Amino acid sequence: MAEAMSENWVLKEDEAIELLALLITSARIQMDEPAHYGPLRLLTATERLSSAILERASDKSRGFLQGNIERIPDMHMQMSDTEAYATGLDELCRQVAQCLLRHSPLTEDGS
Amino acid sequence: MSETVLENIRTRRVVREMTDQPVAQEQIEKILEAARWAPSGGNLRPNRYIVVEDPETRRLIRLVSPGMFQKAPVLILICTDGDVLTEHSLPPTDRALLIDIGTAAQTIMLATHALGLASGPVTSYSKEAVKVILNLPASYSPEMFICIGHKAETTRRGMTAWKRITWRDLTHWERFPDD
Ligand SMILES: Cc1cc2nc3c(=O)[nH]c(=O)nc-3n(C[C@H](O)[C@H](O)[C@H](O)COP(=O)(O)O)c2cc1C
Repeated sequence: MAEAMSENWVLKEDEAIELLALLITSARIQMDEPAHYGPLRLLTATERLSSAILERASDKSRGFLQGNIERIPDMHMQMSDTEAYATGLDELCRQVAQCLLRHSPLTEDGS
Repeated sequence: MSETVLENIRTRRVVREMTDQPVAQEQIEKILEAARWAPSGGNLRPNRYIVVEDPETRRLIRLVSPGMFQKAPVLILICTDGDVLTEHSLPPTDRALLIDIGTAAQTIMLATHALGLASGPVTSYSKEAVKVILNLPASYSPEMFICIGHKAETTRRGMTAWKRITWRDLTHWERFPDD
């Protein structure tokens, strides 16, 4: 099973530490901020991670990273329209599931 | 009364995408001078302003500031100097301190707008991490960044409003009636 997984290194140490800084500081500030900022912070981290790995990502992930993640900043700005925000996030969830399948031996793509 | 001032207030918007074109030193100084004229509770002037232009320092600040979407060429950090509070026996919870941050922030943003530049306030950052990165004196509390730069052509719309409001929605005239 592990053989089918992509073993590409896509993140440099500096980039990983930068992401770590974002996650840790987000956790802290979230304690003082409204709950609806939680998704915003997670998506900001998602966006930074995906732009960091895009250059070295395999074809299996590239389309997902390019197509969907780029829409995230626009999604943030619609936070007040909870329904549209949830719809956008649901779509992202479907896309990430498809990306997971492409990386998995469960499907032909992943094998 | 000047219509220009009212127009400036009406048209200022938070900008979250900026170019890396630098801001002239003279303009930064004008903005800081405007901040000096912001009203201050008891005229105590507890605010201190840290200007950060160094690219690496700005990059590190952004990494601990999840709410800083801009890559602005200039950051002005508004701090409260605790030594001023001690000197005047003010508790750090005195609400005038936060109001002072607000009057300074709005003055800075309006001055920036008047100079044809863009600005965006940021409070979503780790104060502790910012203290470490800027090696702040122990008495300084970092309260708010104002990002300053030139608006990018590609700038997205700001956050959509939770609901449409006019000043009338926010205002009540005179005494509230008895139940
Ligand atoms: C106290 C305060 C804190 C703010 N913090 C942030 C922040 O961390 N990040 C950000 O992008 N905008 C921040 N803003 C900007 C607001 O989101 C913005 O003013 C609001 O959406 C209205 O937009 P406008 O000023 O363009 O009319 C802050 C504003 C204030 C007054």
